[in-house]
Amino acid sequence: MHVQGDVDLPVKNPSKTKKMKKRKMEKWIPYLFILPSFLIIVSFLFYPIGTVFYYSLQYYDISAPYYNKFAGLDHFKRIFTEDDLFLPSLFNSFKWVVSQVGLQLILGMILALLLNQTFKFRGFVRAVAFIPWAISGVLASVMWSLMYNEHMGVINDLLMRMGIISTPQAWLSDTTTAFIGVVIAEVWRGIPFFAITLLAALQSIPEELYEAARVDGAGRWKSYIHITLPQLKNTIVLTTLLRTIWEFNNVDLLFNLTGGGPAHSTTTLTMYIAEQAVHGSNFGYGSALTVVTFGILFLFAIIYLKASRFEREGD
Amino acid sequence: MQNSKKNKDKILFFYLPLTLMISFTVFPIYWTLMTALKSEGDILKRPLEYVPLAPTLENFVMAWNNVGFATYFKNSLIVGVSTVLIVVVLSTLSGYALSRYKFKGKRSFLLMLLCTQFIPRSMMIIPLFVIFKNLGLISNPLSLIITYAAIEIPFTTVLMNGFISNVPRELEEAAMMDGCNRLQAIRFVVFPLLLPGIVATAVFTFIYTWNEFLIALMLTNQQSKFTLPVGLSYMMGEFNVNYGALAAGSIIALIPAVILFSYAQKHLVNGMGGAVKG
Amino acid sequence: MYKHVSRSFMAISMAATLFLAGCSDETATAPKTPKGTKDEPVTITFWDENAGPQRTPIWEELIKRFEDKHPNIDVEYVGLPKDSAKKKMDAAIASDDMPDLASVQTSWLPEFSIREALLPLDDYLEKSDLKDKINEGAVKFNKDIVQDNKLYGIPYTQNLDILWVRPDWFKEAGVKVPEIWEEFFTAAEKMTDKSKNRYGYTIRGGAGGSFQLQRLMFAYSGLEDYIDESGKSTINDPKHVEFVEKYLALYKNFTPQSDITNGYKEMIAGFDTGAVAMVQHNIGSFGEHSEALAADQFQAIPLPKTEEGNSVAEGGNTIGISIFKTTKNPEAAWEFASFLNSAESQSYWNQQVGQIPTNSDVLNEQWIQESPHIQIAFEVYNDPNTVLYKPPFYLPDYRTILDNQVDAGTQAVMSGKSTVKEFLDEWAEAMEKSEKQYNEHFKK
Repeated sequence: MHVQGDVDLPVKNPSKTKKMKKRKMEKWIPYLFILPSFLIIVSFLFYPIGTVFYYSLQYYDISAPYYNKFAGLDHFKRIFTEDDLFLPSLFNSFKWVVSQVGLQLILGMILALLLNQTFKFRGFVRAVAFIPWAISGVLASVMWSLMYNEHMGVINDLLMRMGIISTPQAWLSDTTTAFIGVVIAEVWRGIPFFAITLLAALQSIPEELYEAARVDGAGRWKSYIHITLPQLKNTIVLTTLLRTIWEFNNVDLLFNLTGGGPAHSTTTLTMYIAEQAVHGSNFGYGSALTVVTFGILFLFAIIYLKASRFEREGD
Repeated sequence: MQNSKKNKDKILFFYLPLTLMISFTVFPIYWTLMTALKSEGDILKRPLEYVPLAPTLENFVMAWNNVGFATYFKNSLIVGVSTVLIVVVLSTLSGYALSRYKFKGKRSFLLMLLCTQFIPRSMMIIPLFVIFKNLGLISNPLSLIITYAAIEIPFTTVLMNGFISNVPRELEEAAMMDGCNRLQAIRFVVFPLLLPGIVATAVFTFIYTWNEFLIALMLTNQQSKFTLPVGLSYMMGEFNVNYGALAAGSIIALIPAVILFSYAQKHLVNGMGGAVKG
Repeated sequence: MYKHVSRSFMAISMAATLFLAGCSDETATAPKTPKGTKDEPVTITFWDENAGPQRTPIWEELIKRFEDKHPNIDVEYVGLPKDSAKKKMDAAIASDDMPDLASVQTSWLPEFSIREALLPLDDYLEKSDLKDKINEGAVKFNKDIVQDNKLYGIPYTQNLDILWVRPDWFKEAGVKVPEIWEEFFTAAEKMTDKSKNRYGYTIRGGAGGSFQLQRLMFAYSGLEDYIDESGKSTINDPKHVEFVEKYLALYKNFTPQSDITNGYKEMIAGFDTGAVAMVQHNIGSFGEHSEALAADQFQAIPLPKTEEGNSVAEGGNTIGISIFKTTKNPEAAWEFASFLNSAESQSYWNQQVGQIPTNSDVLNEQWIQESPHIQIAFEVYNDPNTVLYKPPFYLPDYRTILDNQVDAGTQAVMSGKSTVKEFLDEWAEAMEKSEKQYNEHFKK
């Protein structure tokens, strides 16, 4: 709020000196505008982020404070040389993120293309299609664990009625189906995010482009490849980047549906961090793992933005 | 002849996939609702009932009455609405700066915004607690509002940046020539055009605050100040598994979001178009 | 160390924070003057570590009764969801912002007391009416497990691991309800009828499974030590290896396939949907079964006895009331703690929940005589031959090892990725390592 007072410039300023002054002030305006956001982030997120970096160099266990001491690079040494779970969980994170972002993008795209047609009750269908987005990870896992349950789950019941399986299956208990099962549940929740953003972008593509293509005799598929996709590029770059970071850190469903099991086969890096720091109260080691994660995501973001030439500072 | 091919096409490429997608979306919600309408004995009974034979509202009554759901609902609304207000104002301002100005440090600012998203929230809980304890704001909704705002602003700033870029600069300049100062131009010219974008930002933020559990639990030490997700988690503990009440609680928690979506879906779609065009 | 650094970090962030939020409520942080006299109104905060629709109303009723008796004391109840309760208390202790008192699991006592979070209650108990009324063994156990052998928690309820079985199925199949381990394994096999989707038993392979597995291992071996004098753990004792091999061999043959990731609710759902004939849990889940099953469809039986014919139970299977050191009103807090442990309160709480009270005045009450599962628990605890083994609750990573390493290890065995011997060796090794580090630190 205090920003408002500062930039309240005089409405009319006939004198030249005032104009000069105004130009000088103009230079500061962007800083004034980002100041409140900047302050709130610096005050409330920098200290927590800073502690993570600090504790990555410490033995810090909140349930055994008597062991706490300086660790130097011990944690990092352990991560890269001794920890048998680091690489597998990093690989699981990779699998998780790629399958999540990939499937959500493809299915979200299909849904967006469908919802972009005109049909009866479109508004209603759209609202319904977006609902899973509003469901928290915890609730989504409750819903899906109810459905996947071996004894009382509706999925087994449906598949048995259809004759696809003959006995109830334990979907979340087999190393392969467990991962797929959680992926499906999270994809269910993530499709609307892409559907909404892509649908919006679709609507901003000028109709004339398609008409021109039609005159040239391009079919549905061709005009999709040559018009729709290029027009959607920026949207796709932005949403996939954000989604990648989010899904990387998203553990709700994995945690509640499989707990990372069986035998760590669905443990992602972020879950592993939570296991160490939050459940194991070993904040030192958890912080070191977080710092490594930070580095990985940081590199990814920079490379991704460079490679996709998104929002080059041309303006 | 041609017509029937066209119809076939429409069925094959439109109605069929749409039906499949919508069924996939709706079924889990339908199933949760049906579970909520069954008594505990019926939920565990086999064969499964796809439509409850003896529907009951007891789960809804139980979820609503038992552990102070109404209070949590109210707290969640307070936190959600306040956070939305702060986030909308601050991210409009910073999004405006990013989209309309070239300035030193712009790239670093963007990068800083991204970096805040790299750290799992669970690692930030204790330091956050220390900050708010020193401010005397533990159990005060303000601590949640501020934290949520700080966490959401990076993303919404990027969103607003996109929306604002979509509003032609000329409109604003024209207004300023007519004697508005910059803030007035933003207020009277840019803002109305931005409405869809603001709706999108607000919905994003509201849904996040509505569902956030960990921070809400950790920064609150008073029963009367807990938010809805904390209330829901009560129904999942050992000795306390009650699928029906849990499902009913989930449905109740969903209602505001559904209302929000049915109201906002039009704006949301139009609005997001601006954001992502960049 | 931690405080130092946080302060310098804080200095920077505080400056900005205060500037921004400049509306912090100064009065809220102002220290209150100690109160304890009868008439001055005081507020005390009580944290419940397993809140939910079942237990919260019980506490609320007790608080109401207490406040009626003590109009000057206002008790503020805070219910914590069970899965996050420890996390929340950890953060509260780490940031020095604790409640006045709380319901605390016995296994947390050593850790909380070393972290200097709790108030010793020996003197309070000594001077109170409750003296000699609270289960002696449980009180002694609480003292034995902490570093300084003081009393940090007054147990108000006791639990016992048992088997829940389907008496109707056993009768129908003409199989004997198991009393010794051999019978247990035969029963698991005989009660399995896959054509009917019925399994003899269900294993908790997911979250929390390690605690149950450990209790069964000791119930089979009858060993008393968890870690012996020389620092060697009994976890990989041949008897334990033998047991776990037999036990996990049940998986998929006589148990559902989903067992490998079963948490509490999946495991209980297996029993309550009528898919499973036997499940191991404790007497506290009585309420859940009674909602889903008819009275003649479920029954509590003690865990099978060892070869020598002894029952085994894990020591410290209690929950108690602890007072935190930072309380401004220790007298009022004790007043409430002793009220909760009075015969009347304990009777009310335990009857509602279906567990065993620790106050000797309650034990003759009608409802106890009438509930068979509590009778069974009594028989086990009162039997002089019952072996009580002591898990090393004092090791700071005791729970972490079980939660992170043992749960995953069990799953590795169940999925054929490792052998029982390897699994138990690693488990024992982790405990021994932790023990060694602990001893080096405290017995210098």
